[in-house]
Amino acid sequence: MTEQGGNEELSRRTFFLRVLTGIGAAFTAAVAIPVIGFGTTPFWRSKAPISLLSHAVTPALRSSGWATAGKLADFKVGEPRLITLTRDVVDGWVKGQEKVACFVLRTGDSDAIAFDHHCTHLGCPLAWSGGAKRFLCPCHGGAFDATGKVVAGPPPRPMLTYATRIESGEIMVGSLEEGV
Amino acid sequence: MRGPMGWIDERLQISPLLRSFVDRKLPRNIGWAHTLGSATILFLIVQIATGIVLTLSYVPSPSAAYESVLYIDQTPFGALVRGIHHWSASLLVVLVALHALRVFVWAAYRYPRELTWVAGALLFFVVLGFAFTGYLLPWDQKAYWATVVGTNIAGSVPFFGRQMVELLRGGPELGAVTLARFYGVHVWLLPALLVPLVAFHFFAVVRQGIAASPRRQPLVAAIPGESRRDAYRREYAAEKEAGRPFWHALMKDAIVSVVLLGGVIVLTLALGAPLEPKANPNATGYAPRPEWYFLSLFQMLWYVKGPFESLLIFGIFLIGGLVFTMVPFIDRSRERLPQRRPVAMTLAGVVVVGVVGLTVIGAISSPAGVAIVPPVEGMTAQQLEGLKVFNASGCTSCHEIRGIGGTSGPDLSRAGHRWAEDAIRTQIVTPKDDEMPAFDSLTPQQLDDLVTFLFSMK
Repeated sequence: MTEQGGNEELSRRTFFLRVLTGIGAAFTAAVAIPVIGFGTTPFWRSKAPISLLSHAVTPALRSSGWATAGKLADFKVGEPRLITLTRDVVDGWVKGQEKVACFVLRTGDSDAIAFDHHCTHLGCPLAWSGGAKRFLCPCHGGAFDATGKVVAGPPPRPMLTYATRIESGEIMVGSLEEGV
Repeated sequence: MRGPMGWIDERLQISPLLRSFVDRKLPRNIGWAHTLGSATILFLIVQIATGIVLTLSYVPSPSAAYESVLYIDQTPFGALVRGIHHWSASLLVVLVALHALRVFVWAAYRYPRELTWVAGALLFFVVLGFAFTGYLLPWDQKAYWATVVGTNIAGSVPFFGRQMVELLRGGPELGAVTLARFYGVHVWLLPALLVPLVAFHFFAVVRQGIAASPRRQPLVAAIPGESRRDAYRREYAAEKEAGRPFWHALMKDAIVSVVLLGGVIVLTLALGAPLEPKANPNATGYAPRPEWYFLSLFQMLWYVKGPFESLLIFGIFLIGGLVFTMVPFIDRSRERLPQRRPVAMTLAGVVVVGVVGLTVIGAISSPAGVAIVPPVEGMTAQQLEGLKVFNASGCTSCHEIRGIGGTSGPDLSRAGHRWAEDAIRTQIVTPKDDEMPAFDSLTPQQLDDLVTFLFSMK
C-alpha cells in the first residue's frame, strides 16, 4: 500500500516537474524569440549588397532623390571637386535633409561622374591630391586615379559612384550605384 | 562585534562566512603577479560607478550625443568622471590581457580550473566589447571614423560579412540606429553578461583556491600510476599546508589597486578626457585611427592584402577566439613550469611581440594626412620647384623627409644616396610594386624638378 502510494507520489512529482518544464520552456521561448529576433533583425534582414555596404558608408547610403551639384560648365574636365549636396535622408527614425559630400568629376562636354568619397577598403575618407591627380586614402595607402580606378594599396574595387545625369546644364546626382 | 554592525550580523550571520573567506589558506607564493585579477574587479566597479553617473547626462543620438558630452565636461566633476571612465577603460584592457598572460604562463588553467579560464576568456571578449562600443558614444571624429573602419573590418568576415556589418550597425548605414544600438549594448547587454561571468569566475577562484605557482620540485613526491585528480589533490593540500591565510595577500592587492587608481586620476588631471571635434561624415583628409587597443589589428591590414585579409580576420576573430577560450582543453599536458613548455611559451611570445610590435608601429607612423615638408637653406631653384611638386602630389602621405610625412613607404631623406637618378625617375612613373601608385600625370618639367629634388637628398 505504502509502496504503491510512494510510486504514485513519485509519478505525480515527475508529472508535475515535466509539466512545469514544458511551461517553463514555452515561457522562455515566448520571451526569447521576440527578444533575440528584434535584437538581431539587422542580421537576418540584411539586403544591401556587400559592395555598397562594407565600403561606402553613411550617409551616402541613406540619401535618395536627385540633387544638383552645380553647373557642368563650372567644372574643369579631369579635376574632381568635393561638393557637399543637401540630400533627403532617412536615418532610422530621423527623416530630413542632411549634407552629403561627394567628388564630382567632369569627364567631357556633357558627362560627369559623382564618386562616393570613402575608400573601398575600409571606408576611410579619401582626399583628392591635385598634384598627384590621385584620390589618396589616409588609412592603408589606398590610391585611386581620377576615374576612380584603384592604382595602389588594398582597396578591392573602384570607387563607388552615384547615378548622374545632366539637366539643362546642371549636374544632377542621384542614388548610389551598386558596385562592380 | 558590537553596535549596529553586530546588530545586523546577528540577523544575517554573515561574519563566519567572511572570516572563513579571509582566513582560508592559500599557497604561500602568492605574489604581485596575482594582484591583476583583483585590480580588474576593482576597475570594473570603477567603470560601473562612473558609467552609471555618465548616463545621467548622456543622450545617445547623433544630434545630441556630442553636445551632451560637452555638457558633462562643463559640469562640476563631469570631466573628472568621464576622464576616469576613459583611462580606466584603457587600463582594464591592459589588466585583463596581463592577467590572462600570467595565468597562461603559469598554466594555472589546468585541472581543476578549466572553467575558470573559459569564463575569464569570455570576460576578456566582454571587456573588448565594452571598449569597442564605448568609444563611439562621444560621437566625435575619432569615434565615428574608427567605428566606420571597425564595422567594415567585421564586414570582411567570409560568408556573413554583410550580415555582420548590418548586425553591428543596426542597418546598412552608420547613424542614429547604430549609436542607440552601441549604447544599449554598452550599458545593458555587456553588463548583463559581465556580472554573471564575473560572479562565476570569482566563485570558481574562491572555491578552488588560487593555483600554486609552478615548482621545479613538487612539494610531494609523485606516485607512479596515480591519477591526475589524486596527484593534484595531494599536491594542493601540501601547498595549502605550507601556505598562509588569504589576508596576507590582500595588502599587495590593495597597494596595486590604489597605485593604479592614483595613476588613472593623475592621467585624467594631466590629460583630461580626450574629445575631438564633432563627428563629420563628410570630412575629407581626416585620418581615422582606432584607440590603441585596436591599433595592432588596424596596422596589420598594411601587410595582408586581398583574399588573405578576410581569411586573416576570420582567423583572428573566430579561430583565435576559440583557441584562446579552449586553451585548457587543447593543452592537456601536466607540465606547468614555463621553461618546460616551449611550444606554449613560443606561441604566447609570438602573440605578445606581434600585438605590442604592431601597436608601436601603428602609434609611431604618423597619420597619413598630407604633411608639408618645408624648404631648407641652400636649395637650388629647381630643387625648390621639385619640393613643391613633392608636397603637392601627396608624397608625404606615405614618405618621410627629415622626419615629416608618413612611414608606410621608404624614408626619402637620403633618397639620392640610396638610388640612382634614373631609378628614382622610373619608380615615380612606373613603380615596380603595387604599393605605390604610378605618378604618370606629372609634366616632364615637374618630373625633372621632382627627381632633381629627391636626388639632392643625400
